[in-house]
Parts: sequence; structure tokens; C-alpha cells
Amino acid sequence: MSLNIQQKNYACDVLVVGGGIGGLMAAIRAAEKGASVIVAEKADTRRSGSGATGNDHFLCYSPAYHGENMEPIVKEVITSLYGRWQDISLVRKFLARSFDVVNDWESYGINMRPKGGWLFQGHALPGRPVFHLKYDGREQKPLLTKKARSLGVTILNKLPICDLLQNPDGSVCGAVGLSIAHEHNTPELVPIAAKAVILTAGNASRLYPGVNPAYLFNVAHSPANTGSGQAMAFRAGAKLINLEIPYTHAGPKFFARCGKATWIGVLRDYKQKTVGPFITKPTRELGDITSDIWNSVFREKMNNGTGPSLMDCTKTAAEDLDYMRWGFACEGDSSLVDALDKTGIDLSKQMVEFTAYEPMFIGRGIEVDENGASCVPGLYAAGDLVGNFRADIAGAAVFGVFAAEHAAEYIKQNTLPNTGQSPSVAECAEELETFLARKTGAHWKEANSLLQQVMHDYAGLEVRSESLLSTGLEYLRKLEKRCRAELRAANAHELMRCLEVLDLIQLGQLLMHCALERKESRGLHKRADYTFTNPLLDDMFLTIQQNTSQSVKTAFRERT
Amino acid sequence: MPPVINPETCTVCGKCASICPMDILAVTNSGSGKSIAVLYPEECWHCNACVLDCPVQAVELRHPLSHMLLSVDTLAPAHDHEENI
Repeated sequence: MSLNIQQKNYACDVLVVGGGIGGLMAAIRAAEKGASVIVAEKADTRRSGSGATGNDHFLCYSPAYHGENMEPIVKEVITSLYGRWQDISLVRKFLARSFDVVNDWESYGINMRPKGGWLFQGHALPGRPVFHLKYDGREQKPLLTKKARSLGVTILNKLPICDLLQNPDGSVCGAVGLSIAHEHNTPELVPIAAKAVILTAGNASRLYPGVNPAYLFNVAHSPANTGSGQAMAFRAGAKLINLEIPYTHAGPKFFARCGKATWIGVLRDYKQKTVGPFITKPTRELGDITSDIWNSVFREKMNNGTGPSLMDCTKTAAEDLDYMRWGFACEGDSSLVDALDKTGIDLSKQMVEFTAYEPMFIGRGIEVDENGASCVPGLYAAGDLVGNFRADIAGAAVFGVFAAEHAAEYIKQNTLPNTGQSPSVAECAEELETFLARKTGAHWKEANSLLQQVMHDYAGLEVRSESLLSTGLEYLRKLEKRCRAELRAANAHELMRCLEVLDLIQLGQLLMHCALERKESRGLHKRADYTFTNPLLDDMFLTIQQNTSQSVKTAFRERT
Repeated sequence: MPPVINPETCTVCGKCASICPMDILAVTNSGSGKSIAVLYPEECWHCNACVLDCPVQAVELRHPLSHMLLSVDTLAPAHDHEENI
């Protein structure tokens, strides 16, 4: 099979890579500021990204609800499960703007007050401020898409972006995508010229083995998100940050789903003893936050024989159980409700086992400043692929706005480049053509599977060390080399999957470089050769950047 | 095959194939006419988008055994012999 190069010259002021929550909000705001905008989306913006079918918690600060002093909310956020790896300056800027975006969403038709008034629930400790707005996000993607289109944004669906295009001075001047639209019999490369690019391609799933490794797509966050934004930003010269600190989500064991805060129950062991110290009687106002606070609880209890940990909703009031089922639908977990019903699981009588899922990159990735700008001129990032800030749906939405506002000013100093003849497009085409031309070869799943095993064995949660990480790094280099020499794609869909795996292999190597450099144990980063936590590395974030095409440079910097 | 399309009610409008986040569905044209094919069932995320957005409710999701929810019906009585652990 051959490869076409699209001859239509797409060009815009601002190109948004990924049409999830962050991407659509960036597109909306850039268009409102007068920029011409293209969104390149791997799937379809109406149902793509980790917020594809919904969400029900929007992290925000409301002066009317929380009071004029924002600092108690800042404190609560930065001491949360993922708050320790955020720059506090970005948290403050985000919170100050967050409720404006809530109001924007309501004006787009998203149901931010499904029960009438503003309701703050979930992810909260007893007696402490609650900062997640309960909302009904099941129509958020179609409504954001409608808003973007109404402002003249061009949405190119089924167009995953492969790589960024750069001017000789290093500034970004567009990107090249691969059309996977089925109406094309021949895969097609699509160059897009842009004065600025906002990366909003989401988290990196499928890097480590999931709950059932035979099923690569059984993951809580969107398995279409494979770190392509982080990988292409790195290749363009951007700094990535906090890669070595593992983050794991939690939920029902073999049906990986987000939405742990939607559950109104208590985690108990088999002997009915509560697992955590926070609550004994769950209510819709206060569920069990144990898995947010004690991230390793599920593994520890399985390893010491006191597991499993079970979500107990049997003592939850009947009306709260109904409320929970409604919450699942808002969160985008209607599939989970269907699965419970079809298999006859009655949560008023039965408990469901919970577990921690595999490590992933969320809030691990591109370093940005308070405008969402990376260190590469013209390159911005927002959402789950950012490494020094994270607030999930709300974070993506608000930083999408910040990035768009800064990009709309940045483009005024630039003229539109012509990328049609860019050597990078030709280089990209050459490699993809080799994958398509092979009559026999390796399937992308072989590579993804081995990558996951190497990550688990050599950069896992149980143990890390210089010898394991160094060896793992060598294995991943060899895997990458073999992939380039052996991968075969039968069509555009498989070609997309091949590129995803190559991005993941690159990120795996970068993670190992960073894990080698952090010579201490901290959080879920456990070094067998440095078992202590080094006070000198408190509040120190580790960055990694391309040095030459063959080497990287790492550096610690203070949290700001 | 996670999404199961009911050929009796499906109008082959193609919306499910358009919006599938994993690109596993496609409109195909065979000798007997157009239909929706599940090309990559093992890449299904079980997100329910195809079920939610089908205008004629022709899609159902089958949850594979590999994704079984683990439920416990009977618990040990409280205050069991914890010292044995």
C-alpha cells in the first residue's frame, strides 16, 4: 500500500492538536480572539478524549461559594493526590479563572447545575473545603463542538497528528497529520501550516500493562491517548517534566473506569473492616477518599494477604444509590451501569472489588509557563499532557483558554509559513511508506505488549534501580530500532497504531532516564539503591530535554 | 465483538462509525449492500458512545468476560480472627 500527500494547503493562525476538552476550549477562545483556527482530531470531537461521554466533577474556586479568600482552596489542591507535582503559581492562576469557565460552559448549554443550585461534592476530606463542582457532563463534547463550529473553527476529524513542523530558528510552523478517514483507500499525509500550535492530545495510556494485559484497551482513561503530544513536543525541543513520578488511578478491578469519586460507598476488606480512616457511613456529600490519599492501598493489601479491597455500597441509603447511578451517567460511565445491570450485580447487596490501575502519564509531560507556553516559540500545551499542572477536565478547559489567549497575541508577530515543501513532511512520509510497503512484518500489538512488559519489569512500581533502569533503557532502544526495521501496517488505522507505539516507546525511554536521575525514593518512585527520601530534593522537579538527536539532558529545578 | 449492531433496525447512517473514539467501526459495502462492520473489536474502550448516539437504538454493547466486574456476595462475619493474617 502506498501513501498520498494531501495537496490542499491547509493553513491557519492557530492549530489545535487534539479536540478533547482542552483542545475545544483553546479553539473556542482563539476564535473569539479573532484567530483562524483548525482543530486536528484523531477521532471525532463529539466523542473523543477522556471526557468523551461525560464527567461529573469540575475542580474550581467560586468566590460566592468558598468566600473571597482563595488560599484555603489553593492549599487543598496542592496537598491532594496529584497536587504535590504542580507549580503553585499555575494552580493560583487556574483557580482564579476557573469559575469564569464554569459560567462559559453553562452559556454553551452544558448542565453545570443539574440539581438547581451550585453543588460541590466528591474528592473531599471530612471537614475540609470541597472544591469539585458536581455537574452533568454527558453532552459536554457535542456542545463544545457546536460552540467551536459556531465561531468558524475548522474541525478535521480522523486526523491524528504525527509530528510538528518547525522553522529553521526552531519556532513551530505547523504539523503533519495522517488521515485515517475510511473513505480514502490510500492513507494520506496532511500538512497544516500554522503560526502557533496548541497541543492538547491528552494523557499517555497503554505504557504499562493494564488490569488484564491481554486487553490493551481495558484502561480507565482514553486508550486513544498515547502520549503523542508529549513525544512530539520533546522532539521539537520542549522540556518534559515529572515523568519519573508514577501516577495510578483506581476503580473496579477488571473493568477499568474513571469515576472513583462518583461511588458513594466505603472501601472495606473481606472482614468488613474499613480500609481507610475517613468515613464509615457514606453519603452523597462525602464518599470515601481513601484511594485518593493512600494511593498504594490496593497493592499493599493484596501483597500482605489482607486484600482484596471492596467497594461497599450496601449501607448507602437507597436514594443515594439512585443518585450514584445518575452520577455515573453524568460521568460518562453509562457502560458501567449497563454492565452492573446485565450481570445482575445489585450494589445494595453486593460489593465490587476495586484496584489501582497501571501507571500512566497524566499531569506528567510538557512543562508550561502560566500562559500555557512551552520553551519552544509558538508551541503551547494544555490538559492532561502538561507535566507541572493538573486539574483534569477543569484544568484542560481553563489552560486551553490561557494558551489560546497568549497564542492569539503571539501570532500577530508572525507571517504564515509554507510547509508544503517542508523536508519534515518528506521525512515523515518516507518512514510511513516503509511500514505500508512491507509484505510481512511485526504487528504494532507485538511492540506495545513488549513495551508494557519492559516498563513493568524495569521501571515498575515494586522496585527501580540503576541496573534495572539502565538495562530497561537498552531494551527499549533495541525495541525501537526493531520497530523501525520491522513494523508493518496494512492500512491507515494500523499505521496510526504503529505511530502511537513509537511515541510510547520514546516516552518509556525518557521516563527511565528521569527515574535514573532521581536518586531517592519518593511517592511511588521506589529506588532499591536509594531507599530514602532526600530532603534536598523536596519540591524539586526534574526536567528532560533533547540535547542532540542521540542524547538528552536532565535538570532539577525548584517548584514555583 | 463488543458493539453489536442490530441489522433489523440499523439504517447505516454511519454516525457510530464517525464518532467511535477508537475508530473500530466502519461503513462497508458488500454485495448485499451497506452495513456497519466492527473492524477492530479488541480495540473497543466500552465507552458507550455508539450506544448513546445511535439515532435508532440499534447498538448494544457486549461486555466481554475479560472485563468481568468482580462482586462479592457473602462476607466473613465482622471481627473475624485477624491475628491469623
